[in-house]
Amino acid sequence: MKDIKLRIRSVESTMQITKAMQLVATSKLRRAKERMENSKPYGKIAREAISAAVARCEDPNIPFLTPREGNRRCYVVIAGERGLAGGYNSNIFKALDAHAGDADYCVLPIGRKAIDKYQRMHKELLEDTQARVEGASVDDCYRMAGMLAEGYEAGRFDEVYLVYTSFRTMMDQEAKVEQLLPIQKAHLPEDATPVSTVYELEPAETLRRVVPDYLAGKLYSSICDSFASEVSMRRNAMDSATKNADAMISDLRLKFNRARQGAITQEITEIVAGAEE
Amino acid sequence: MATFHLQIVTPDRMIFDGQVERFVARTAGGDVCILAKHIDYAAPLGVGQAHIVDENGKTRTAACNSGLLTVYNGEAMVMATTFEWSDEIDRDRAERSRQAAEEALKALKREDVEYAVNSAKLKRAIARINAAE
Repeated sequence: MKDIKLRIRSVESTMQITKAMQLVATSKLRRAKERMENSKPYGKIAREAISAAVARCEDPNIPFLTPREGNRRCYVVIAGERGLAGGYNSNIFKALDAHAGDADYCVLPIGRKAIDKYQRMHKELLEDTQARVEGASVDDCYRMAGMLAEGYEAGRFDEVYLVYTSFRTMMDQEAKVEQLLPIQKAHLPEDATPVSTVYELEPAETLRRVVPDYLAGKLYSSICDSFASEVSMRRNAMDSATKNADAMISDLRLKFNRARQGAITQEITEIVAGAEE
Repeated sequence: MATFHLQIVTPDRMIFDGQVERFVARTAGGDVCILAKHIDYAAPLGVGQAHIVDENGKTRTAACNSGLLTVYNGEAMVMATTFEWSDEIDRDRAERSRQAAEEALKALKREDVEYAVNSAKLKRAIARINAAE
């Protein structure tokens, strides 16, 4: 009986924690979703703008757009800072493994969990300081984008991929791998009267200036997307943990009451038996 | 006057999406004005003032910082690092950052790495102050 009582108490305190975490996640979720919605248009319009800018460019070697021979890869991995969010972190790592296969790659980790994981695997890290996901600012993204653009231009890698979690609904989030560089052109409406584009600067120079901005915007929106996913996955995980704890407690209560009832019955039987003699 | 579709975005939000008569911004090659039926065009943006004249003929001024301006099939797209309407600018803050940048520049030499950083800061602060006026 004492055992059961102790177990009930420990499950109760676990439930308090999961419930608190669920509440925290719920309150963070609203802001995270808002930030995510606001950051979405940039990536789409930026890709269209860049595609439009080079749509009629004759130069076959536009930096950042023309695929290169080499196949050294760099993955930008956005994971969380903490666990206890269902499969959030492991889904991300699985998505990367499935995409990379046996290929060798270097990593730009974002979030504590990603840093730890790829440090343990002894992968080459471009940087191991970007541990914050929750409060990541646009400035942080510009810094990382500059690093990626520089590394790509210097030929340290030929392809850059982004691994992040896309928020679809509260119950549905998906780990995704997306190609960042070389940029894949957006599909533009075909125009009836093709005319040449007027450039203020050479197309190559234009791209060289603009692509780091594009990368930064893309990183920012993916970080917001991932964070919203992380929070909602944590909320769901904590919600089911709380429910499980609740079920466990009522189960234990039942057992406890039965044991108590059993003890009383036995005592009465003993007394009655003693009186009869 | 004829209008055209203009979209302005920054990484953290959509700033503008609608019909305008005119869009003026500072590009790498100088100030450029886009009107309806402009030829296809691409230019990186510099630091400076920008303004639009909307379909009702109302002018709105903003401080714009880096990015890309493209026109394709008569539609204009602007992806900017920052784009702040004049009524959103914190003048005191811009003034403070202008002073800080000026102070820093006094102590630096032209060839220092920090020099470029601070002169860019100064440019942005001046663009903000001008746009806010």
